[in-house]
Amino acid sequence: MSPLQNPFLNGASEALADATTEVVRRVQRSLVVVHNGPEVTVQSEGRRAVVQHNGHHGVGGGIVWKSNGSSGAYILTNYHVVAGGRQLRIELEDGREYPVQPVAEDPEIDLALLHVEVPNLPAVPVADSRTLRVGQLVMAVGHPWGQRGYVTAGLVSSLTKARTRGPRGEVEVIRSDARLAPGNSGGPLVNAGGGVVGINTMIVGGDQGIAVPSHVATEFVHKALEKAVV
Amino acid sequence: MANENNPLVALSDAMAEAVAKAGASTVLVDARRRLPASGIGYAADLVLTADHVVERDDDIHILLPDGSQRKASVAGRDPGNDLAVLRIEGGGVLAAETAPQAARVGQIALALGRPSEEGIQASLGVVSAIGGPVRTGRGGLLEQYLRTDTIPYPGFSGGPLVDAAGRVLGLNTSGLAHGGVALTIPTGLAWQVAEALAQHGHVRRGYLGVRSQAVEIPAALRQALGRQQEYGLLLVGVEDDSPASRGGLLVGDILVGLGGEPIDDPDVLLARLIGNLVGQSTAVEVLRGGQPLTVQVTIGERK
Repeated sequence: MSPLQNPFLNGASEALADATTEVVRRVQRSLVVVHNGPEVTVQSEGRRAVVQHNGHHGVGGGIVWKSNGSSGAYILTNYHVVAGGRQLRIELEDGREYPVQPVAEDPEIDLALLHVEVPNLPAVPVADSRTLRVGQLVMAVGHPWGQRGYVTAGLVSSLTKARTRGPRGEVEVIRSDARLAPGNSGGPLVNAGGGVVGINTMIVGGDQGIAVPSHVATEFVHKALEKAVV
Repeated sequence: MANENNPLVALSDAMAEAVAKAGASTVLVDARRRLPASGIGYAADLVLTADHVVERDDDIHILLPDGSQRKASVAGRDPGNDLAVLRIEGGGVLAAETAPQAARVGQIALALGRPSEEGIQASLGVVSAIGGPVRTGRGGLLEQYLRTDTIPYPGFSGGPLVDAAGRVLGLNTSGLAHGGVALTIPTGLAWQVAEALAQHGHVRRGYLGVRSQAVEIPAALRQALGRQQEYGLLLVGVEDDSPASRGGLLVGDILVGLGGEPIDDPDVLLARLIGNLVGQSTAVEVLRGGQPLTVQVTIGERK
């Protein structure tokens, strides 16, 4: 039997696939796992591996938002990922773990900024979410159910506002139909050009996402670093 | 990679354009107590929407994409197909462009809705399946329907499913299938019903006056028929003084075609009788005594 021939293949779909791979690869370089809780230790006991799990242990995504070159980097994630955290640390793509220090947090917009003393981590390109339009392609990258660097795609479903419990009263949000799961929290929502347009924050209606726009995140980081400068 | 040469950026922008274009003829329909639903511009003063979202006949309001409010009244309803046409006071509705071709499985599709004043909403997917005819939960018969994997957000009923160029492939509704499963009524059928509703206020359904059951056509008769049609409708009853009896149809005939189209299922016959055949002299093709025979029947209207 001869292989299936597609008369419409003219290179366009391969070019799309390549572009998608490139976007994902760039984002994954700047993606970290945020651990909140005591380290899980694995002990060998005879032939069975026993996982010691001492109490609360949360996992979410984080993004290298700003690199300070040799002195370290700032990691952006969701406040709810690090809330009440003890032994906060990040895990890089290669599995190495490092302790992080909280720099700033804002529960109202569910963002937290962390600092890690690891030199030369690649910062993610940030796009301006104020130019987003409904219908534009977006991809969510994170660690749903612990699966590292998992990618889902969809589009900007609506640009709307959500009520908050805090002085703002409401905050702009991006609603997308890219499928999310627990573990996507704190991970980036990126546009077709590979720029971060939002931080995935909430899941509604089962599997649809709500993201805090990048311009809200940029303002939060800007204020946090102004205060942090000594 | 520079954004100008990135085909993914081009696709992304094209989809946003499609949403903007189709969104310009997608309106908010406020005709029920809970969350408003959506509607599609059919003409300057007509909006097509889902019947189940029009819970009242008075005090209906439309919000146009430019933010202006209009009062509306019901021009016609087809509960069986869950379609309704609203007449808009003062007009100003932009009629939607329909897709030149019927939807195909695998095609990229966007579901649009405008259930809030905050702007157009969209969900991405593909055409997953094309099915029908199917009897609906509302006592109707849907000749054809589309299924997609788009997300039917609350208030999307009555809104359009569009192709990647923003042209309408069908009308989305969660009011037809049991359990609120979202279906899409293809444009061809939806626009046909809309035309009837705008003109007559209801859909005219043809009436023959026969009772029938599907039977397998024996191979020899298939040969006489001259086409590979496996099933026909054996007439087991012909009502007195009905269009069928006046046209000369007899109990024992096997009905195999109507108006030049093959008929192999009672649901297909019902679907064919919807629309503009009422009052028309129509060719009915039957097998009688082993021979194909065509008789002319003037289709009546089911009241």
